[in-house]
Amino acid sequence: MNTRQAREEAVFEAALGYAHPGERRAFVEQACAGDPALRDEVLALLEADAAAGQFFSGVIETVSRNCLADAAVSAADPAPAVRDEQLGMVIGRYKLLESLGEGGCGSVYMAEQQKPVRRRVALKIIKLGMDTKSVIARFEAERQALAMMDHPNIARVLDAGAAETGRPYFVMELVRGFKITEYCDKNNLPMAQRLDLFIKVCHAIQHAHQKGVIHRDIKPSNILVTLHDGVPVPKVIDFGIAKAIDEPLTDKTMFTSYAQLIGTPAYMSPEQAEMSGLDIDTRSDVYSLGVLLYELLTGRTPFDGQELVKSGVDNLRRTLREKEPAPPSTMVTTMQGNELLATAERRRSEPVKLITALSGDLDWIVMTALEKDRQRRYQTVNGLALEVQRYLANEPVMARPPGRYYRFQKLVRRNKIIFAAGAAIAGALIIGLGISTVMFLREREARKIADDATRREMQLREAAEQGRQNEMLLRQEAESREKVVQAAMLLRKSQYVEADRLIAALPPNQQNLAGAGVFRTLGEWHALRGEWKPAADRFTVLLQINEPDEIYSASMDFSMQTPVLVQIGNFAAYHQLRREMIRRFADVSDPQVAERVLKNSLLAEPDSEVIRTLQPIATYISAYVKGIGAAYPEKTTWQYSALGLYYYRQGDYAKAAASCQDCLNYIGPDGPNSPRLAAANLIAALCDQRLGQPAAAQQHLANGRRLVEAKFNRELDRGNGFSGYWFDWMFARTLLAEAQKNPAAREDQSRSAPNILK
Amino acid sequence: MNDVTQLLQVFGKDDGQASNELLPLVYKELRLLAGARMQRESAGHTLQPTALVHEAWLRMVGEANRTWKNRAQFLAAASECMRRILIESARRKASLKRGGRQPRLNIDDLELAAAAPDDKILLIDEAIERLQKADPEKARVVVMKFFGGMTNQEIAENMGLTERTIERHWAYSRAWLFKTIRTET
Repeated sequence: MNTRQAREEAVFEAALGYAHPGERRAFVEQACAGDPALRDEVLALLEADAAAGQFFSGVIETVSRNCLADAAVSAADPAPAVRDEQLGMVIGRYKLLESLGEGGCGSVYMAEQQKPVRRRVALKIIKLGMDTKSVIARFEAERQALAMMDHPNIARVLDAGAAETGRPYFVMELVRGFKITEYCDKNNLPMAQRLDLFIKVCHAIQHAHQKGVIHRDIKPSNILVTLHDGVPVPKVIDFGIAKAIDEPLTDKTMFTSYAQLIGTPAYMSPEQAEMSGLDIDTRSDVYSLGVLLYELLTGRTPFDGQELVKSGVDNLRRTLREKEPAPPSTMVTTMQGNELLATAERRRSEPVKLITALSGDLDWIVMTALEKDRQRRYQTVNGLALEVQRYLANEPVMARPPGRYYRFQKLVRRNKIIFAAGAAIAGALIIGLGISTVMFLREREARKIADDATRREMQLREAAEQGRQNEMLLRQEAESREKVVQAAMLLRKSQYVEADRLIAALPPNQQNLAGAGVFRTLGEWHALRGEWKPAADRFTVLLQINEPDEIYSASMDFSMQTPVLVQIGNFAAYHQLRREMIRRFADVSDPQVAERVLKNSLLAEPDSEVIRTLQPIATYISAYVKGIGAAYPEKTTWQYSALGLYYYRQGDYAKAAASCQDCLNYIGPDGPNSPRLAAANLIAALCDQRLGQPAAAQQHLANGRRLVEAKFNRELDRGNGFSGYWFDWMFARTLLAEAQKNPAAREDQSRSAPNILK
Repeated sequence: MNDVTQLLQVFGKDDGQASNELLPLVYKELRLLAGARMQRESAGHTLQPTALVHEAWLRMVGEANRTWKNRAQFLAAASECMRRILIESARRKASLKRGGRQPRLNIDDLELAAAAPDDKILLIDEAIERLQKADPEKARVVVMKFFGGMTNQEIAENMGLTERTIERHWAYSRAWLFKTIRTET
């Protein structure tokens, strides 16, 4: 093996240690700086790694089954073809009557249900090749949420099961109608009616979102339009199915996602295309609705579905992630003459009118929904629907940068008569104002020329000095970067001590995203060994460089540092970190991130400013636990204790105690010995002390202490997302220290041990 | 079954000779076992090659000689056998499907994921041949892991490497193989 191949292998392996795509990419760029061929080679390997798992999995089992079957049957007849479903067949309680169509992931039939009621339903059978049991299990998990959905524009999903062939199937309310785009074009619906239909679709999706269900696969073929007494009614179908079919992220599932990619890439949000799987939220549906709106307006999708598929998975992902689509008006302008004419006619319009109608508000609305960064999209589907309504009512839309002229234009359109009179008066005023403005501008120009000359001279001097410094800095940086790369490679081989020695002396201000994985791993390594000071140092660097957009992992990084800082008594750093954390996550809408930020901001006594700035997060969590969260107790475990701590710090002890009790009442998948229960007990103990209930306080304190001590008596491990991480335990231990030193608790202890005192 | 035990003992000292004699024995045993299995189990049952290989081990080697070292050697040989059996069968199937011809597979990127397992395994085997030339150690890991279904621990034992190294070799090889398959086809 030559050195080049060895380097390639080492960089590849070290890169595998990076869990976050952005950090991983940055690391590879840094490790292969100046060698683009090596970089491409490594990136190709990483790409292959992602897809390889699925490619390899199951092959051996299938081949050996076939092969062994051969061996057994030897001279027998050819293997019978896999029998597909046929009309007239009965699957579960349903009899297949008529084929309604074939889709990317299966076939749809009209079927008759005989028991308990006789009715016609749509039955969708999913292609083979998916793990039927887990598809159905995931569907069952979602069932509660699906059952709560009740909306005239949503087709209900009634049932799911497995056919005898092992294929999973779903049963839905039968909707017979046209795809929304087909319906619009067939009937030459003008723009306003298309938008009306779109708003109805938005309301349906919004309803589902409120019930905690994300569709994940919004596209025209999932929105059918039927006529009720001559009124077109859109119905969204397939709710909950995308999620059930989409498997959790493992080696194996890269394939499923991959296969689905081929289905409908044109409507897929950039974060879905990333296939990071874990992190799809309602804003992904906002994106897909943006694509739908785009298509309703222009007749085309922002990116051509066929071309996306042809370009291959890498390019497809890159396109969705990086390429800005043409705004609808531009898209229409670039159409060939005939197509443009036809597109306009289908909207009962003319080419020029169509382009004018699209440019401006509609361009803005669509482009906002299609933002790559979901933070910059409409945050809810309702937001998008309201915008379209505003457009229809000639009111200013939010997406558009609120230019004065623009708002004025909108105002004029609404109040034509008043403005005609106003315009005359304004005219007279403007002439007077004009004269004085000209004189002012002349004077300002003269002053500016003098200022510019002085400033330029200063800049030249600074630039020369900076050049010298830069050169030195660059050299240092190159060395520092190579050391980070070396450290990552050592870590991959579990050589922590050596890696730590390499990076310990590096200047912290020269690190970038490529080092995130190294500093995170080493920080945790120190922490697990109880070396809090170096752990804090590593985390400090990490928090300077972690990804600004990745709220989920960033909030984890913060959660590691906060208890460590309190542990080493560096409260100045803690207060600063707390401010930074609150600033960064103040408007977060992810229950888990919000809970982490809230509880870690309250580890040390807060001032009223902190309490005030945390208010929105606390409000969000409390709405979450009562709303969507109510159906998922396993997802509201920490939220209750975080709220408890917030109320406690606020001084509302009774409310705090109640919240802790809510947390304690549920023993979830994290088991009876979780850091969450420890923390809830300890917060409850603090509350009891304040409420003057020493017996209860003793009990809660003892419970919490027992859990924490049992954990820290053993060697600390990293833990996991289910049963809690080490920093969750550190959080609990910090609370234990506080509960034990509370004056109320001390009195209590002295009273409970009178014998010793005597 | 004593000859197997003897061969295994030689295995440690003289690699090539013993494996040449051991392979046909293991091969025969595996085929026999497979046939018996298939008559017992329903056709839809998933047969793990690992299970077969381990069962063959239990049947072929006497109680007394079941030391861990021997077992690792045996499993390595059995992996190679599984590879031959499966490739043979896949070749036969592939040529039947294509009307008796034996063509070069040509699958473009997107269909790759959906390729039939029989075609996949032939592509993988070809790529392993290439890996064999570039890096024989990694190729051995792949054969044991992929065809023999051996655990990292078993492979580490057989090759005298650490489990961690096996894991790294496998991760790299898997990506390398898939990349090769994707660019070569």
